[in-house]
Amino acid sequence: MRYSELQRKSFLEATARERAIGLTDEGSFTELAGPRDRMMSPHLPILGEAVSFDDGVVTGVGLVGEHPVFVISQEGKFIGGAVGEVHGAKMAGIFRLALTAYDHAAQEHPHDLERYRPAVVVSFETGGVRLHEANAGLLAHAEIMDLIQDTKGKVPVISLIGSKVGCFGGMGFVAAATDVILMSPQGRLGLTGPEVIEQEIGKEEFDASDKSLISRTTGGKHKYIMCDCNELVEDRIGAFRDALCGLLNRPYSSLCRCRRIGSYELVREQMALVRLAAQLNPSDSKDIWRYYGNAEPDLIPEMEVKEFLKTAHRRPREVE
Amino acid sequence: MALVHLKFSFDGIPGASIPREWSHSGVVGSGDMEVLLTRREQNGRVNVTVCTPVSGFDRVWELVLRRFVAESGCGDLELEINDNNATPFVVGLRLRQALLEARGGEI
Repeated sequence: MRYSELQRKSFLEATARERAIGLTDEGSFTELAGPRDRMMSPHLPILGEAVSFDDGVVTGVGLVGEHPVFVISQEGKFIGGAVGEVHGAKMAGIFRLALTAYDHAAQEHPHDLERYRPAVVVSFETGGVRLHEANAGLLAHAEIMDLIQDTKGKVPVISLIGSKVGCFGGMGFVAAATDVILMSPQGRLGLTGPEVIEQEIGKEEFDASDKSLISRTTGGKHKYIMCDCNELVEDRIGAFRDALCGLLNRPYSSLCRCRRIGSYELVREQMALVRLAAQLNPSDSKDIWRYYGNAEPDLIPEMEVKEFLKTAHRRPREVE
Repeated sequence: MALVHLKFSFDGIPGASIPREWSHSGVVGSGDMEVLLTRREQNGRVNVTVCTPVSGFDRVWELVLRRFVAESGCGDLELEINDNNATPFVVGLRLRQALLEARGGEI
């Protein structure tokens, strides 16, 4: 597919590889540990489960302007994008490469680091740990969390969420720990996935067959109002890319201010939200949308992105 | 229970390989497959390895692959397939798409 077509393609429908290629500058993406390296799961064959040459994740490096951008793009069609041993090791490897690239950039361009600063971009599409190789998958989550801490003060980590599976489970925590989160309305972000909540607590608590309920609770618009995601974009690879370029043109310090957790003040802000939830006892996300000043919450789910961004009232941030 | 590995070899057309050294296509989704094509000069021979969770379909694989090699007019290739319960029709379709993509055509 031509690059210009890729830009117009739906992010929701795109494969992990198409997203990785389309997010970086034209012709700049080089896949690392790609299909030809045949780094496959050693655990799935024993269980008689299908394997994939890339273990469900595309990793590599490309450019956005002068910035080397280290890309992790998960493929939801392969075991729901779940993180196993090889998948996780490939993700961790990309963080390590980005940190090495930062050391290089800091040495080569000490006075012009803003322009050449590397970044990590993760296009999440996953339910978290791959249960077939759960210990290795969990360890990978811990390792990646650790590496995200190592990036602080050096490399911005940007999450993109707008794919079919969404971003759930352990990877929901990982996304929350990154600097910036971009979502489309179709993107979904959470910890315990809808099916799991229904299974564990019951249909009265959460009806996992109710698509609009899932969207209102975990979808991009709700996360945008709640400031759980920083920017909302349309469902096109090009729209995500434009937002990404915009972010990388900003000073690093401004990206650090996008974080939702990671300091005493931010934790206090989150704890205040927990208290508010207990006090409001909302029965639906619409109650919260109204609380933050959206007079007609019923109109929000069907609204076009442009219209929504113009009219939506967001939760005021306490920490700037 | 374990994965099934199948090997096939067919007569193809000498010189009818792909322009680049290798090409990859497809996603191992449910009912789908991926294929890695590698260029190899071997008197037109097309060698195929299949890795699949389904057993007992060796003959069907052979027929589908034989027809693909004959109809597409390819040769001098190694094909490695990771399958996840793709139907014979999907296998044929994905292989034709993969070859077209490897030859730089639009799908």
